[in-house]
Amino acid sequence: MDRMLRRARALYQDRQRIALAALLVAFAATSYVFYHAPILKLGGEPPASLPQGWVEGFEVVYSFNTVGFILAISLMVFFYAFWTWAFLPKPAVDYTVGVLQGIFGRRVKMRQYIGKKFRVFLGANRFIEVACRIRSPGSGEWFLYRIESSPLDSDSLQDIALRHGMHVHNGRLQTWVSNDELHHRLVLLASALSSLQ
Amino acid sequence: MTLQSQRESESQSSMCEAEHKNLDSRLDEYMSKDTRRTVYELIQLMSSLSDTRRAIIMALAHVYPKSVSGVQLSRLIGYSGKSRSLYRGVLSQLQEDNMILIDQLTPKLYAIRINNEHPLLRVLVEMCKEFGHDARKVYTRALEEQ
Repeated sequence: MDRMLRRARALYQDRQRIALAALLVAFAATSYVFYHAPILKLGGEPPASLPQGWVEGFEVVYSFNTVGFILAISLMVFFYAFWTWAFLPKPAVDYTVGVLQGIFGRRVKMRQYIGKKFRVFLGANRFIEVACRIRSPGSGEWFLYRIESSPLDSDSLQDIALRHGMHVHNGRLQTWVSNDELHHRLVLLASALSSLQ
Repeated sequence: MTLQSQRESESQSSMCEAEHKNLDSRLDEYMSKDTRRTVYELIQLMSSLSDTRRAIIMALAHVYPKSVSGVQLSRLIGYSGKSRSLYRGVLSQLQEDNMILIDQLTPKLYAIRINNEHPLLRVLVEMCKEFGHDARKVYTRALEEQ
């Protein structure tokens, strides 16, 4: 693994730990805030056959306070999920941009999108899309990339894909590559694209 | 002066072309252009793959037409992780790119072999069959001893 990616991994793991710790603190604080306030009933009368203690317990659980508490927690979880989906640690961005600029030149038009995606514009409506996955859920592999071309129209697309070690998905050349393969296989994808011109 | 140098360079370039043609015809004697292109593409592909993928392809090309199980394969290439993570990662990606074929024999047992229909890997398998006797012996002995 590249030195920059190793740093990115360490950074990501650190941030994950911090986020988890912050989530625990926030969990405690929210439960205090929501249940310290007076309990607001949701309406509906409990059956009379239940003993008094049970009824009081249910009134705490079945209340607007619980609704607010669950909303607050799900909001936190949502922000955490969004953060892991959207952002790549800076050293990993530098690594990816460096590899892309090494192949396509420093002046190539390139854009970074939210969701760990990069798009390199090659002119004539053609582009290459590089998406990064910080940690693959199946294999636990770090920094897996999916590289993909723009939609292409050619009869020999399947053959060209096979000869460059890729497959065709929705008329695009596509493949998954590990971080140490990124440079070489992007070169292959670029040469496959130029052979289609 | 400039005319002369131009003429010189022209004659040089024509000599170069002649040499190229000569080289081409000599190369064609033992290897056709199509074969050379396929071998070039094969080298490009193999050098672009990561260590694990390369080891898998080479091992499977040598033991072809035999197929191996995931555990056998992960031992054969000296993979340190679990064979399950090999399935979910590298192997499923290689299958997606049509380089290997995976048949599910039972829910837990898979038969993995190289895709002999692949335009480049077919050539690799042919070459392994023709020249890879000794390497194949090493691989098959390792498989038997497991």
